[in-house]
Amino acid sequence: MTNFSLSLDTKWLPEMEELLEQDGPWHKWELFQLALQAEDSLAIKDFDQLQSLRYLPELEPFPHQTETARRVLHEMRGRAILADEVGLGKTIEAGLVMKEYMVRGLAKKILVLVPASLVIQWTKELQQKFGIPAMAQKKEYMWRQYEVVVASIDTAKRDPHRRHVLDIHYDMLIIDEAHKLKNKRTRNYQFVKEIRKKYCLLLTATPIQNEMDEVYNLINLLRPGHLGHSQSFSSTYVDGKRQAKNSDQLQGEIKKIMIRNRRSDGGVEFTPRRVESIPITLSPEERELYDGVTSFVRDKYRNERGNVNALSLLTLQREVCSSREAAFMTLYRMHQKAAEGSPVREEILKLIECIKRIKTHSKAAKTVELIKQINDKVIIFTEYRATQNYLQKYLSEEGITSVPFRGGFKRSKKDWMTELFQNRAQVLIATEAGGEGINLQFCNHVINYDLPWNPMRIEQRIGRVHRLGQKRDVFIHNLSTIGTIEEHILRLLYEKIDLFEMVIGELDDIIERLAMSKSLESNLVDIIMDSRSEKEMALKLDNIGSVIRSFRHIPAIDNSVVQTP
Amino acid sequence: MNQTEVRTFIEQYFQAFQSHIVENHPDYLTVKLPVEVDKDIGNRPFYWTWVEKMNIAPQPLSLTLYFKPGEIPKDLRAESVHFGAKRLQQIFGSTMKYGKYVCMYEHAKGIIQRSTLSTRRSTGLTPWLVLNYKISFICDKKRDLFLSLGINLHQPRVVREFYPFLQLLHLSPSIPDYFYTNERRVTLSDAAQLAHAEVNRFINEHDHDWAEEAKVRLQEELEILEEYYKHQEQTEKTEDPPDNEEQLPQSDNDQTIHDQPLQPKSNERIKDGLPTLHQKNQLIENPVSLSMSAPPTYLNEEQAETVQEHMNRGGRILDFLRMNGIAETSKEEINQAEWKASSLEEEYQRRREELCWQYEPRVEVKVINAGLFYLFNLPPV
Repeated sequence: MTNFSLSLDTKWLPEMEELLEQDGPWHKWELFQLALQAEDSLAIKDFDQLQSLRYLPELEPFPHQTETARRVLHEMRGRAILADEVGLGKTIEAGLVMKEYMVRGLAKKILVLVPASLVIQWTKELQQKFGIPAMAQKKEYMWRQYEVVVASIDTAKRDPHRRHVLDIHYDMLIIDEAHKLKNKRTRNYQFVKEIRKKYCLLLTATPIQNEMDEVYNLINLLRPGHLGHSQSFSSTYVDGKRQAKNSDQLQGEIKKIMIRNRRSDGGVEFTPRRVESIPITLSPEERELYDGVTSFVRDKYRNERGNVNALSLLTLQREVCSSREAAFMTLYRMHQKAAEGSPVREEILKLIECIKRIKTHSKAAKTVELIKQINDKVIIFTEYRATQNYLQKYLSEEGITSVPFRGGFKRSKKDWMTELFQNRAQVLIATEAGGEGINLQFCNHVINYDLPWNPMRIEQRIGRVHRLGQKRDVFIHNLSTIGTIEEHILRLLYEKIDLFEMVIGELDDIIERLAMSKSLESNLVDIIMDSRSEKEMALKLDNIGSVIRSFRHIPAIDNSVVQTP
Repeated sequence: MNQTEVRTFIEQYFQAFQSHIVENHPDYLTVKLPVEVDKDIGNRPFYWTWVEKMNIAPQPLSLTLYFKPGEIPKDLRAESVHFGAKRLQQIFGSTMKYGKYVCMYEHAKGIIQRSTLSTRRSTGLTPWLVLNYKISFICDKKRDLFLSLGINLHQPRVVREFYPFLQLLHLSPSIPDYFYTNERRVTLSDAAQLAHAEVNRFINEHDHDWAEEAKVRLQEELEILEEYYKHQEQTEKTEDPPDNEEQLPQSDNDQTIHDQPLQPKSNERIKDGLPTLHQKNQLIENPVSLSMSAPPTYLNEEQAETVQEHMNRGGRILDFLRMNGIAETSKEEINQAEWKASSLEEEYQRRREELCWQYEPRVEVKVINAGLFYLFNLPPV
């Protein structure tokens, strides 16, 4: 009996004595029996078996997700770093662990700290997918009033909220985007360390392999001393800032506290991607405008070397491939900025004359044709606001319903637009990939109206629809105007790099490993602006493509720390 | 519980309250809630206080519970019910609340006939106290066991597995004709003593490996912790600042203007044992948060005064909420600068407490329900 403490419920005795004295009122035998049946069904019959799935008949977790929940419970005793690659559903894993501890009666008071933009999303997901009565923290009293609170870490760490949070004993603490806690000198880190918690999950998508210190700090939040103290850690495992030694041993230790599922581990099947380029022939008027802009850009770049921003000039050239509206806005601004009476103004006015002469819009017309042919939900991505507005007007004239989506929208507006798109409109016209946490898996057609030059952004675009939960093949339609810069870029990204065929996240790895001094984007700018001829440009683009391509087939070496072998 | 069991359970629950079943469809059930059920699972406490205060006739709530898995048809206003559904969990809670204490008598038809026919002499029924226990073994994990005890209050003895025996009998809340009840010679508190001893015996008969293992785990954790903090302390004493600060990135994306890296703690503070950040100290200085140093002010049953009691005194709901809620701290009282990091010692103690809280093996024994049963038949020995 010395092994454990015992608490015995004796409340029944005085209550029963009083009932006996007054002979009732007694309860019903039927309810007495039902109560026992209810308790029996709620009982945890086994220390180790997952209970939460019985409560969630509508949730269909993937095997790696239930396995993760099981390991967190039994091997890691409720304190773990969940570091799955993007798109494998860390939220589901965290929700499962949370539900499991709640069902077992081991966790009641739970705090979920996430970036401010994700508070509503997390709250909704916990409520809808897990039946967990989560509340988004808004007022001070809520810290104590509700058992499960979702809040932004930046709010929580400040007074007066901090006092409440640090005063409460949390059965469970969950932190999303935990890679932001890698620096132990920040207030966020200190704050998290001071929160009293029993079980704790840290979620991060960014592999934290680069800095040994970061791994060490993150693990120390969960289990101080797991990797030894800082000196012994350095002498045992660190061989320079980014170099691990005794890496097998270190990996073993890290695996005891961190789970990283990878797409390549299998088990999760992503539906195929089908990529299609749609060539568009410009009308003679459109061609005239494009050529006009191109020579304007070249001349300006050569004449005013050093004084102009190559990127903004190039933007004009890209805009004209997107829509005349987008180009017009930029030209207008350039005109206003140029000195009165300068030759530049005249040139610009000439180009604007060109714009006025254009009566058709080949790209928009092709898009409408495509949407009608698809006859299903479509997301159109464009880089430019002007194009977005124009397209919305154009589509509505063609009788196609659409909703806009911009980065500047507030979270609630984004949610609302997503909902409208899902239930009312056929098309979503977006200027950005939607940011963290917007899920559009119900749609499987993406039209890249114009292409960003930053491959990450293309990834993000596709990532909105091509993720866990997408049940259909994903179709990506890339529009490209023949004989323009757009065509060159598309050829590079699509044919040379095979970008659209890559698995999500793969390009991240490559860019990181290439350690290019400049971003791919600014490399492209240099090539285009400095090439003396189309031919030279094509050749240089070809070369950069080959470099990236060749890297695809070299396995990663550096991130061995967090790889599951 | 599968869907059929869920439905049977819910039907039995509503039957027990004599609820009016509006529609009994193979896929769903529409039921008009009786007042006490509405109050318990209807989720409208304010409606009920209003109705009672204003003394008006309440409009009972109708619920349509949908049992078929999958989408609910569009023209049906219903809620889907399965084992994890909130409504079913509420109903579970309701049965535990309204199925707690019973007093029942055995009616055995065969026996009645025999005794009435043969002797016309009345027969004694033996009083039994029945306690149904849920026993939880808890450490960082958990497991539940059930124990149903019957204690003979006429001639003291304790019998296990009593509930399964009760289920075989024909029971009724009123005493049958031609029967009398034998005297209760054992008081309830004596019976409680017997029951407690039996609970202890029951627990001790079980394998205690789970507790031993939890202790070992805890010990392991404590050792790692101790080792770590011992070294950290030495490190702090020998070097200040503790490590390669200049190598840390200066602009971290989680830092706002207010989120500058903390000043490294000076050694003096640790040595002198100056009071560092501690909630209680702050709170006493701060009149608004005084209510916080008292036990947490949740609005739940552990509250000193319930809404009901408050209203019975003639108080207003709004006043109750003001008194029991947490006011927003006024701007003047917010001081972001008063942040101080814990000392190593505080950190160490906090982590120790967390570990004990998580791992320390314990057994919780809860009485699910209890009853007094007057029985003719004896339980199998």
